[in-house]
Amino acid sequence: MNDDDRVFRALADPTRRLLLDRLFERDGRTLTELESELEMTRFGVMKHLRLLEEAGLVATRKQGREKLHFLNPVPIRLIHDRWIDKYTERRVSALADLKTELEDAG
Amino acid sequence: MTTMTEINLTTQVYQVFIKATPERIWEAITNPEFTTKYFYGARIEVTPEWRRTYAPDGGDSWGEGAVTEFEPPRRLVHEWRSGYNPELSAEEPSRVTWEIEPQDGGLSLLTVVHDRLEGAPKTAASVAGPGWMMVLSGLKTLLETGEPLTG
Repeated sequence: MNDDDRVFRALADPTRRLLLDRLFERDGRTLTELESELEMTRFGVMKHLRLLEEAGLVATRKQGREKLHFLNPVPIRLIHDRWIDKYTERRVSALADLKTELEDAG
Repeated sequence: MTTMTEINLTTQVYQVFIKATPERIWEAITNPEFTTKYFYGARIEVTPEWRRTYAPDGGDSWGEGAVTEFEPPRRLVHEWRSGYNPELSAEEPSRVTWEIEPQDGGLSLLTVVHDRLEGAPKTAASVAGPGWMMVLSGLKTLLETGEPLTG
């Protein structure tokens, strides 16, 4: 499985998207904090966080005795750069071509 | 989406895997010839004592920050002031930590931690999200393809 597959797989689950949204609202949280907002066992939340970490969407840092979870948006940016830009560029250039063609004809 | 004021941005963590040795990544973050290609065009000089930024196209100095840890090619810690914007640069200085860890398969994991942003809320909002993301995706593209990221 490549990096993009891991990101798409991680994002395919509503609970994992919810965890990312929670971190977007307030970054740098412990497992206990995140768990308290979800109707799910600690083990379940851990499992989802691990998948997000493997996909690079969550980064963890030790702070004292606590492990804090941070939203890492870089993989989403990379997918944007690789996929979205490619298609929007083509659409823009297609429109530019159309304009040239119409104006030349007129 | 919640409003920006509710979002806690005082510590921000960004990570990216790059197919390059720690030495090449270190070179790219400390050599101005590289930084112009991915850091919003800025020329950035780094010595063991300070990190100085110049505006694109040989422009004015955007000021300097003290370097507090300088351990090539693994760890760089420096003060951050947003010299590119007078309103932001009037805020208290914050701190940026670059960590480079070699991984299997010729990869390195680059972690950027921007913290101590309590006294710089406008800077925090300015660098959050797209700010650092553009830098890191540009750096990855440059090192992996030799070409700057366009657009």
